[in-house]
Amino acid sequence: MEDQDILAKFADPASRNLAFNQLVRKYQQKVYWHVRKMVVDHDDADDLTQDTFVKVWNHLGNFRQDASLYTWIYRIATNECLNFLSSKRRKFLLPLNDVSEELAAKMEADPSLAGDEVELKLQKAILRLPDKQRLVFNLKYYEDMKYEDMAEVTGTSVGALKASYHHAVKKIEQYINEPS
Amino acid sequence: MNTPFRLDDHPRRPQPLTPPPDGYFDRLPTQIMARVQPEARQESAAFGWLRVLSMPLRTALASVVVLGGFTATFLLSQPDAATTPRLAHANLAAVPRTEMVQYLLASDERLSTSDLSELPVADQDLVHDYLQASPAEVQAALDEQPSELNYL
Repeated sequence: MEDQDILAKFADPASRNLAFNQLVRKYQQKVYWHVRKMVVDHDDADDLTQDTFVKVWNHLGNFRQDASLYTWIYRIATNECLNFLSSKRRKFLLPLNDVSEELAAKMEADPSLAGDEVELKLQKAILRLPDKQRLVFNLKYYEDMKYEDMAEVTGTSVGALKASYHHAVKKIEQYINEPS
Repeated sequence: MNTPFRLDDHPRRPQPLTPPPDGYFDRLPTQIMARVQPEARQESAAFGWLRVLSMPLRTALASVVVLGGFTATFLLSQPDAATTPRLAHANLAAVPRTEMVQYLLASDERLSTSDLSELPVADQDLVHDYLQASPAEVQAALDEQPSELNYL
């Protein structure tokens, strides 16, 4: 179902639930993996994915179609992730690196990365990036999102996003090439 | 010497982490709908039917509700006419007759003929219990009194 059809059906109370169900089914995997790469832990990703869609439900009636539905949903999911990570730091009074270390520890425990040293080191290098730069890196590297769409998601200019991604790649390569 | 790592040369894994449990994406829409549905159900159950009505009908309905509230309050605030004499009767019956006589003898209170004349009208049961006289006998007793005492 196209986004326009979903929005039209959502506007009609008689077909609202059906439309929203379709919307969830269409975007759930993208949202989940976007969130999961940011918070690593499945349970956290599950909570944040659900919270994202609850917010989508609450605000979809006011959605102005000057942005695409896809980037609007990503924007909500991104804000959920950034708020989650910053509240985690505030709650436990943790500095930036400690949360990164915690996420890296979860990453190391992930069976999917067992035995793949280079991939594990890449993931740990990504986790060392500041949250917003990591977000930009993930959207470009893993999802190949256009910079224009990323600008809608992050509220940052295209030029700033290109620079951020370029610097992220350099930091990652430098970290991996450092002798252990 | 090892070749320096270059990100562009590294094979990209779209999802580097362990996938979620089996069936997770089949269950997720149901879980999300369950979180948003209670709000939708409450909204439709409580006020959904109001939306069907036109604005004049809604205004008329609101007026009926307000007037009904006032009427109910007024009716409920009225004393129960049937209960009051019954209650007085029960309270009076609870007083022992000797105490009642003592009270009448010790105080300045006296039963007047006007009290006697009002009793059959106020409560027939009281007349039967305490006066033990028929209405004809009461009427005859009253007729014997001087007329000026009856209307004091």
